[in-house]
Amino acid sequence: MEPTTNDLNMNLFDRVLDRLCLTPIGLAGLILLLILPFIPPFNQEYMLRWLIYCGFVAAMSVGFDLTAGYINIVNFGYMAVAGTGGYTSALLVINAGLSPWIAMLAGGVSSAILGLIIGMISLRLRGIFAACLSWFFGLAVMGLAIKMVWLTRGPLGLRTPRLFETESNFPFYFLIIILVYLTYLVCKWVVRSKMGLAFQAIAQNMEAARTSGIDPVFYRVFNFTMSCAIAGVLGGFYAHFYGILTPDMMHTSKTVEILAVAYIGGRGSLWGGAVVAFPFIFLMEIVRSTLSHLPGLNLVIYALVLILVMIYYPGGFSYFYDTHIRQPKNRALRYFLNGREAKV
Amino acid sequence: MSKNIVADLTAWVRTAAGLSMTIAVIVAIAATIHTGPYLLVNTIVTGGMLALVATGLTLMLGVLNIPMFAHGEYFMIGSLTAYYIFTPISEFILEHPDSWLVTFGPFIAILGALIGGAIAGAISEKLVFGPLRRRSTDNWVMNSFLLTVGLSVLLVNLHQLIFGADFKGIVGYWQGMPISIAGAYISLDRALAFIISAVIVALFYLFMTYTRTGMAIRAVSQDITGAEIVGIDIEKIVLLTISLACALAAVSGGSLLFMIPSYPSVGLEPLYMAWFVVILSGLGNILGAVVGAFMVALLKVITVEYVGAGWDFVVPSALIMLILIFKPSGIFGSDVRGVLDK
Repeated sequence: MEPTTNDLNMNLFDRVLDRLCLTPIGLAGLILLLILPFIPPFNQEYMLRWLIYCGFVAAMSVGFDLTAGYINIVNFGYMAVAGTGGYTSALLVINAGLSPWIAMLAGGVSSAILGLIIGMISLRLRGIFAACLSWFFGLAVMGLAIKMVWLTRGPLGLRTPRLFETESNFPFYFLIIILVYLTYLVCKWVVRSKMGLAFQAIAQNMEAARTSGIDPVFYRVFNFTMSCAIAGVLGGFYAHFYGILTPDMMHTSKTVEILAVAYIGGRGSLWGGAVVAFPFIFLMEIVRSTLSHLPGLNLVIYALVLILVMIYYPGGFSYFYDTHIRQPKNRALRYFLNGREAKV
Repeated sequence: MSKNIVADLTAWVRTAAGLSMTIAVIVAIAATIHTGPYLLVNTIVTGGMLALVATGLTLMLGVLNIPMFAHGEYFMIGSLTAYYIFTPISEFILEHPDSWLVTFGPFIAILGALIGGAIAGAISEKLVFGPLRRRSTDNWVMNSFLLTVGLSVLLVNLHQLIFGADFKGIVGYWQGMPISIAGAYISLDRALAFIISAVIVALFYLFMTYTRTGMAIRAVSQDITGAEIVGIDIEKIVLLTISLACALAAVSGGSLLFMIPSYPSVGLEPLYMAWFVVILSGLGNILGAVVGAFMVALLKVITVEYVGAGWDFVVPSALIMLILIFKPSGIFGSDVRGVLDK
């Protein structure tokens, strides 16, 4: 890792924070998330369950944004890739007796291989065609999961052992928060390095990037593989948290959910999706459970928000934050929002 | 002279389009001989309906550069409209068995589906695509794709919210003896559904080729600035194109109501299949879409017949992926990247 801002002007706290890719407000948010399950309305198990789902969507949207926001290819089979990781992990635990922790990583590896394949075969395609290809790939993988009943038990669902031997959701909550943060950190490190520049160059103009000596093949495939590996590990978490795995998880509508959160959060920001996921998915779950006599209402709201954001504010939440909130006059507040800025 | 024709024919067969069409015809004939003519009938009925959906999708892509993800939802709107029009008609028929509605009632329902789809398309242009087009600066293809994703989720769940998630189907449109062709019995519904789709596709083709409006639509698809210069009202053409494309999907849903009942996510399968067709045949190629629709239908029917039900996602998508890898512009190759990388 090379230093990004001039380290000399910084004290130790700022330097550590910079290395961890956090601003003071980001740190505050992370601490808030960590103490959230002890604050009264949120300490009930069902609320915690929703929050874990929020965390899952948040982490997935960060991984999704790495491809969608940086090399401008929408991986439309993202949940199918995650499902592959989940199934690999679950099958390894059930049939080979592996520990779920190692199996989760193995799930990541299997998804990375899948991502490598999709990345390689979508090399010749751009924009919507690459999206279509990953979509069809996802459909094919879902079809396989449905039809290979002898292995996956098909739509009946595969019962999987949970990661922790307790009924409580607390340890899962802390694990998913750590996973959200780790996902963000790894992605941020990658895009902060020279690679991030290469990604953006490829996304904007592939010919120009190639002329400047950037090998688009390597960077595109690397990006795809990494994003899919993240999905695989998270899919393993999903499998070993819910304890049951059905091919439904790989459905396109689930990918749409991740996609909506990532775009409402703001493409190309990585943190946008993670920040938006918690309040947004949580509210949706409240709507879904309190207005259960109106099925589908939460998804109607969901779709309306996506449409309105796409038409009127395509930058999403992160763009709003950057233009309207980030630059206050007050210096202390400014430090709180941005961290120590480099003196130019 | 005859030598020339033979040479031309062999040259055509050796192109990607000719090769795939020849293989498709041979496979169709072989399978028909092996299992019986019902396979061919199934292919033709499914293919006819798929052709309607896929032509609409092609139109949206070719003229407006919108990769429509919500096209299946207009199929759903069509079947829903037809259901709500036909249910009172069928009750009326039960009481008055010799009224003229026995013959013409189904046509009214299908016409209603057509009009419903056109209106739905016009509304979505006014409320969704129009505002995006006026505000969009760059990356139109991807943005409009995501917009249609949102539209699809919205329409599916509005259906569930307002009409409920249960199956809304009918027993059949026309009562009567099935027609027997070469030992295969075809119900009147299927035969008429195919005839309707064939007539509509033919009319649509004539409309696009010979009328001034159709020519204007094609002009816009080729060069929007040039079309504007010669005095074509772009807004009008866009509105017309969207409602036409949606009406095509809706009429397909309406006339297939006897086979596929209406429920919220009914549009997903026609959507997948139509996308397969569009990728297979190349974008913006209407005749190619019609031929491709029959090929995909054949592929689906044969997969269900020989591999088993449920595999009809896996096998066609694997094949389409192969085509995408080796021939990204589709087998009837139009210049794909030129259209989409604007």
